Amino acid sequence: MKRHILGLAGASALAIGLQTGAALAQECSVNVGTLYPTSVDWGRPIAETALWVGEMINEAGGVDGCDVNMILRDDQNDGRVGVDAARALVDIDQVQLLIGTVSSGITIPILTSVTAPAGVMQMSCCSSSTRLTEIAASGEARGLWFRTFATADVQAAVAAMLARDAGIESITVVYKNDDWGQDIGRMAAAAFEAVGIEVHASIALNDAQPSYRAEATQALRDQPGALYLALYPTEGISFVREWLGLGGTSVMIGANSLRSDDFRTTVGLANLGDFIGTDTSSPRVPSAEAFVDAYAAHFGSAPSGPGLANSFDAAAIALLAYHAAGRDATGTEIAAQVPRVTDPDGEAIPATVEGFAQAMAILSEGGSVSYQGATGAVTFDANGNVSAPAVSWVFDDSGMAEQRYISLEEVSGFMASIN
Amino acid sequence: MIQSLLDGILTGAIISLGAIGLTLIMHMLRFANFAYSELLAIGAYAALVFDRLFSTLVPVLDEAFAPLTLTGALALSMVIAMVLTGLSAVVIDWLVFRRIRQKADPLSMVFASFGVALIIRNVIVLIFGHHAQLYSQEIARATILSFDPLILIKPDQVFVLVLALVLMLALHLVLTRTTFGFALRAVAENPALAQVAGVRLTTVIAAVWIIAGSLSAAAGTLYALTNQLNPMIGPVFLLPVFAATIVGGIGSVYGAVLGGFIVGIASGLALLVLPSGYAPAMPFLIILAVLLVRPQGLFGEDQR
Amino acid sequence: MIGVVSYLTFFLTMAGIMAIITLGLNLQWGYTGLFNGGVVAFFGAGAYGTMILGGPAEPGQFGGFGLPYLVALGGGVLLAAALAWVVGLLTLRLRHDYLAISTFGVAVALESLARNSQWLTGGARGMRGFPRPFEAVIESNFLFGVVFLLIVLAVLALVWWGIERLVHSPFGRALRAIREDETAARALGKSPTRLRLWSLVIGAAIMGAGGGLYVSYTAFVSPQDLLPILTFQVWAMLIVGGAGNNRGAVLGAVLIWGAWTLSGFALTRLVPDSMQLDAGSIQYILIGTLIVSMLLWRPEGLLPERISNPRNTTVAKAAHTSNKE
Repeated sequence: MKRHILGLAGASALAIGLQTGAALAQECSVNVGTLYPTSVDWGRPIAETALWVGEMINEAGGVDGCDVNMILRDDQNDGRVGVDAARALVDIDQVQLLIGTVSSGITIPILTSVTAPAGVMQMSCCSSSTRLTEIAASGEARGLWFRTFATADVQAAVAAMLARDAGIESITVVYKNDDWGQDIGRMAAAAFEAVGIEVHASIALNDAQPSYRAEATQALRDQPGALYLALYPTEGISFVREWLGLGGTSVMIGANSLRSDDFRTTVGLANLGDFIGTDTSSPRVPSAEAFVDAYAAHFGSAPSGPGLANSFDAAAIALLAYHAAGRDATGTEIAAQVPRVTDPDGEAIPATVEGFAQAMAILSEGGSVSYQGATGAVTFDANGNVSAPAVSWVFDDSGMAEQRYISLEEVSGFMASIN
Repeated sequence: MIQSLLDGILTGAIISLGAIGLTLIMHMLRFANFAYSELLAIGAYAALVFDRLFSTLVPVLDEAFAPLTLTGALALSMVIAMVLTGLSAVVIDWLVFRRIRQKADPLSMVFASFGVALIIRNVIVLIFGHHAQLYSQEIARATILSFDPLILIKPDQVFVLVLALVLMLALHLVLTRTTFGFALRAVAENPALAQVAGVRLTTVIAAVWIIAGSLSAAAGTLYALTNQLNPMIGPVFLLPVFAATIVGGIGSVYGAVLGGFIVGIASGLALLVLPSGYAPAMPFLIILAVLLVRPQGLFGEDQR
Repeated sequence: MIGVVSYLTFFLTMAGIMAIITLGLNLQWGYTGLFNGGVVAFFGAGAYGTMILGGPAEPGQFGGFGLPYLVALGGGVLLAAALAWVVGLLTLRLRHDYLAISTFGVAVALESLARNSQWLTGGARGMRGFPRPFEAVIESNFLFGVVFLLIVLAVLALVWWGIERLVHSPFGRALRAIREDETAARALGKSPTRLRLWSLVIGAAIMGAGGGLYVSYTAFVSPQDLLPILTFQVWAMLIVGGAGNNRGAVLGAVLIWGAWTLSGFALTRLVPDSMQLDAGSIQYILIGTLIVSMLLWRPEGLLPERISNPRNTTVAKAAHTSNKE
C-alpha cells in the first residue's frame, strides 16, 4: 500500500517535472484546460478533436504569439472527479480558459463551484441541459459560460417539421432517461402535437437495462405510424433491433446522437431506409465540408461520432477569443472577446490553419471576424447558447448523407409558429 | 398483458440460469458475491472470440439454423465458453476468495468481490472496448402468434427458453441422481459432517464454481444472442440475478429458477402500471416485497 | 504558489467530506457490523434534502424554500436519518448479505426516484442555485475555499467527537457486544434490533451531513451524484484505513481520495496518448487490485481496531461457526 502511494506520488512529481521542462523550452505558452471523459468511448474523439484545434492554432502562430498548451484531464463521467480535475486545472495549471465537458451533471457543478467563482471562462461542446440556460440567465455564470451545442428545442422542432412533411399521423416518443433525453423528449412531444401529430406515448429508456423488450412491447401496443428516437447508440441499437424484430414500423425520426457508424452497421442499412435524422447546423457552407475533409485527413476517418463538430468549434472560438484578448487575459476578458470572433458582420474566415492565421491577424488589428466553423457561422445569445440552422440526414452506403438544409430563418419561423 | 407475460418468461429464463449458480455459491460459501454477474460477461466474450474464430476457419459453421440466428459456430463456442468460464471461476476463487476465506471473516469476501468485479469488468473493456458487439448482424424477426390481442414471439427466444430448461433439468438430474449431487447437498447442509463422511470440501467447492461458471456463461451468451454484447453485462445483471436468488431463497436451485421467472415477469408487467423510467428499481422492489413476507425467500430454509 | 494552496484547500475539503461519510460508515460497520451497501442513498438524501430546503424556487417544482443554511443542512441530515429509519425497520432483521443487497437496492431506487420525479427533484436535470454559505459576504474565491474548509473540518471534528463519545458510552459497548456475539448480548438484556436501528440511523445522518456539505459546495445536485461508485469509494476508504478505528477511517478517506485524484492526474500525463482512452480502465483495475490486495494481506486495515484481541481471528471463527448452526 505504502509503496503504491509512493509510486503514484513519484510518478506525478515526475509528470510535473516533465511539464515544466517542456514549458521552459518555449518562448512563452498559455495553458488551456481541456476536460473531457476520455475514458468513455464517445468522449475520446471529442477530446482528440479539441487537442487537434490546439495544434492548428499553434501552427497558425499560437495565442497572441504564445504556444497553446492544451492540458487534457479525464472527468471519468463522475461529478466529483470532474470538479477535482477542473480545480486542479484552475489552481495548479492557472488556466483562464476551460474547455469542457460533456455531461451536464458535471459541467454544471464545475461552472457553479469552480470556473464562475474563479472568473475562468468555460466553453462546452456538448452539454445540453436547459439548467445551463437558467444558470446563465440568473447571472450565476457571470457571463463566462458558452456552449456550441444548440439547445434541444431546435432539433425537437425540426423533427416535428420533418414528420409533418413526411405525412406521419401518429408517433411514439422514445427517449434516453437523462437530462438531455428528458428535455428533448418533452419538447419533441409538444412540437409533434403542435403540428397535429398524435403522440401515443413517451417512453423513457434507462441506461444499462438487461433488455428493452418490455419497452418495445409497450410502444408496439399503440401501433404508432412512426417512432421518434432521442437515444444514444448503445440503447438505440438494442431498442431498434428489438422493435424491428417485433415487426414495428421502420419509419423513424432520430436525433443527431444516432448519427453513428455503430448504429448504422448494427441495425443494418437495409432496415434504415425510412430513417430520417435531424441535426443542428452543418450548413451548406464550404467550412462544414472543409471540416469533414480536414478531419478525415487528420484522423484517417470521417467524423461520425456525436459532438465532434461542436467540439471543434468550441475549442476554435475559445482560442481565437483568447488570442483577441491577449496572452495575459483573464477569463472575463476572454469571454468579452467572443462576440468579436462570431460577429456576423465581420470578415468570414474558414476553419483552417490559414483561416485561423487570417483571423488572428484581423483580431490583432482590432477588427472582428465571422468564424465559419464546422457547425456553421455560430453566434451566441446572452446566455451563451447558439442558435443554429438545421439539417435532415439519412443513412446511405457511404455512411450518412445530409438531405435537406433548413436555414436559421426557417427554423425560427417554424418554432415561432408552433409555440 | 399476455405479451408482457410472455416477454417476462423469456427474459426470466436468462435470469434463472444466472441465479442458479449464484444461489449455490451463496449457500455454500456464505457470501454475497458481487463479482458473480461478471461471469456472464466472461462467458459471453469467450463465446464471441471462438465464434469469430470458427466462422473464419470453418465457414460452413457460419450458417444459421433457420429460423434461429444461432449458427453452428456459436453453438460450439458456447460450449467452449461454458468450460472456460467454469475454469476461470475456479481460478478466481483460488486466487482471491479461497485465501480470504482462510484468514478473514466472510464479509471481507463480499468486499473483495467488489474489487474483483471492478478488475474483471475493466480488463474486458481494455481487451474488447466499450462498444456494443453482436454475434449476428441479422435482426431476429418475430412470429405472430395471434393478431387480437397481438402476441409476438421470436424463435431465438423460444430456443433460449428451451435450452435454459434443458440445462436446468440436467442440473436437477445431477443433483438428485449422482453421488456427486449427494456430496454437494451434504456439504451445503453441514460441511463439517460431510467432511467426516469423507467428502472432499475443496473438490466440491471447485465443482460448484464450475457449475456456476458454465451456467453463467450460457446465460451470458444467450443474452448476447438475443440482445447485444457490451462490457456492462455484469452490472446490468447484478440486481436481477441477486433478486432472483433472494426471492427464491438462498440455496434452493428450484427457488432460483422460479425467482428468475418472477423477476422477469414482474419487470415486464410493472411497465403496465409504472412509467418505464422506474425500471431499474423493479428488481429491488421485488426483493423487498418478498423479504417482508418471507425473510428466507420462497424456498429457503430459515437460517437464523 | 497560492494556486497550489488553493487546490490543497479544495482537496482537503473534498477529502474531509469523504472522511465524514466514512466515519458514518465506520459507526455502522466498524462498531456495529451493519453491512450498508447503499451509502450513496443516505449521501443523496442529505444532498437533495439540503437542496430542496435551502435552494431557490423553481417553477413547477416542489421545494425551493430558501431556508437559512443551518436549517437546510439540518433538514438534509434529518431526511437521511428518516430514510435510514424506514430502511432499518424493513431490513435490519435480515441476514447481513441480504442487508447489503437491500440497501444497495435502496440506493438504486432513490436514484430512480431522483431521475424521474421532475416535480420534486427536477428529474435528470438536477437542481441548481444553492446559495453557498457566506459566499455573498466573502469577496475572494480563495478565502471562500478556506472558510468552507473550516466548516467541513468543524463538522468532521464534531462527528469524530460525537462518535468517540458514543462508542465509549454504554451504548457503544452494547453495539460492540451485539457485533461480537448477538446471542450473549441478547441474554444480557440488550435489544440488538433497537441498537442496530439506532446505529444505522445515526450513521446515515452523518452520511447525510456529508451530502449536505457537498451540495452546498457545488451548489448543484443531480442523479449523476447518486451512482454506486460513491458507495464503493467509501467502503474502500474504510477497509484500507481500518474498520472500527476513527483515525483509520479518516486516514483511509484522505489516502483513497488522494490516490483516486492523483492517479487520474498521473495517468493523463504518463500514459502515452494512444492509450489515453484506457487510462480510466487502468485506474479502476489499480483500485480493484488495491482493495483485493489489502484484504488478502492486511484485512484489518492500516490502523486496526484497538481492542485487546484482534477480531479477525477469534471473531471470524465465531462468525463462521455461528453461520453454520
